[in-house]
Amino acid sequence: MRVALVAGDPIRHQDLMAIIRGGGHAVVEHHGEADVVLVDGESVDLHGPPAVTLGGADSGQAGVLPADATAVQIDAALLAAAAGLIVRVPGLSSPSFEALDDGEAPLLTPRETEVLAAIADGLSNKAAARRLGISQHTVKFHVESLFRKLGAVSRADAVSKGLRQRLFEI
Amino acid sequence: MVDHSKDPLLQLSAALASATASAQSSVVAIRAPRSPPLSGTLWRNNLVVASEQVFPRADAAEIVQTDGAAIRARVAGRDPGTNIVALQLESPIEFDRPEPADPALGALVLTFAADARGAPLVRLGIVRSLGPAWHSRGGGRIDRRITLDLHLSGGEEGGPVVDAAGALLGMSTAGPRGRALVIPASTVDRILPPLIQTGRVARGWLGAALYPVALSDAVSQQIGQDRGLMVLRVADGGPAAAAGVIAGDILVAIGGTVVGRPSRIAQSFGPESIGQQLELSLLRAGTRLTLNATIAARPSR
Repeated sequence: MRVALVAGDPIRHQDLMAIIRGGGHAVVEHHGEADVVLVDGESVDLHGPPAVTLGGADSGQAGVLPADATAVQIDAALLAAAAGLIVRVPGLSSPSFEALDDGEAPLLTPRETEVLAAIADGLSNKAAARRLGISQHTVKFHVESLFRKLGAVSRADAVSKGLRQRLFEI
Repeated sequence: MVDHSKDPLLQLSAALASATASAQSSVVAIRAPRSPPLSGTLWRNNLVVASEQVFPRADAAEIVQTDGAAIRARVAGRDPGTNIVALQLESPIEFDRPEPADPALGALVLTFAADARGAPLVRLGIVRSLGPAWHSRGGGRIDRRITLDLHLSGGEEGGPVVDAAGALLGMSTAGPRGRALVIPASTVDRILPPLIQTGRVARGWLGAALYPVALSDAVSQQIGQDRGLMVLRVADGGPAAAAGVIAGDILVAIGGTVVGRPSRIAQSFGPESIGQQLELSLLRAGTRLTLNATIAARPSR
């Protein structure tokens, strides 16, 4: 599949490029050549190929995901939109203006953070173990510990509570 | 015949209707390309402010007044850090600008929005919490944290928030889960001049995504602090990358100050920080390392 990417922020551009390529798709320059367009933020021309937006307003484009959508969600939405389907996240509210999180919740260790980042990229424990060069058993140990610290009930919950809310760009 | 003139409920109702009547001339609807109808606040007779986070990527829009008259406007600048987009009108609109006022905890407030035809929409609430200045995720400094006990649905943010006397507290903004926040009038007044002049508000940029982490007991004893900021990503060509920072590094001090709360760090990346040299003290594979970065201007989105 050919995907055109629109993202102004350099860090986001890098991340989204990696997600598209990770899904086995090609990134193309011109919207006209694309099967689907991935947009970080606002919506694009509704007359072009179907668009999936991240964190933008719902103005009738094919896919509307929150800014903190996971790699798995983005890849699934791109495939669905290219196939002519409409993608929405249940209970997705309008954009929200938020404070930097100074939360007092327990901090994760550097290793737990790396494991959480791997989960956010949609990796299984096995794949995370391979990426980090540690055993699957150790990954499982870190996952249990970070779930406990964050009070998370699922991997998506852990990513939302633990990563998206605390991560900040400066 | 019962005398209603002393009925406190009717007096309250009349006071709210009167505050509404005096404030509604500053409410406008905004029709922008590829966007559902939005609301805005007439801030000066040739300038409308609105919520940046819902405003589409567009250079121009149409401002619709409460009487339905429409005027063209140009997007003069936008600042995601304070959630303000400024729209310059092609011709001025006469209106009664409400006097600014300070919010009081528990006081009644009215929030205004406009439907697509410019007709005002009003909600009644109270000031739910009041706090000191705070920093948004976009790095902007907001002079006071004002939250209301109201929820704003799509298109309702960006209008004025007034108190029961009709005095202006600021512009409404949808916070987490649609809860209404107020961007104080003083913040809007502070941000507008640079925004109109340059189209944006410059902020310092390091080009790194940081994540607070707990340091191990051994490391904390050695360096005398129990937390650090792990670098999860560095932007290609950004100041952090140029300084030699790599993903996995753990920042322990920035500019000689031990890293602590994210909001404290945001403070040292204001507009005046651009061009400054910054000493980054970090841990890499257990070794302490010092790198020098030059703060750049945050690229626009």
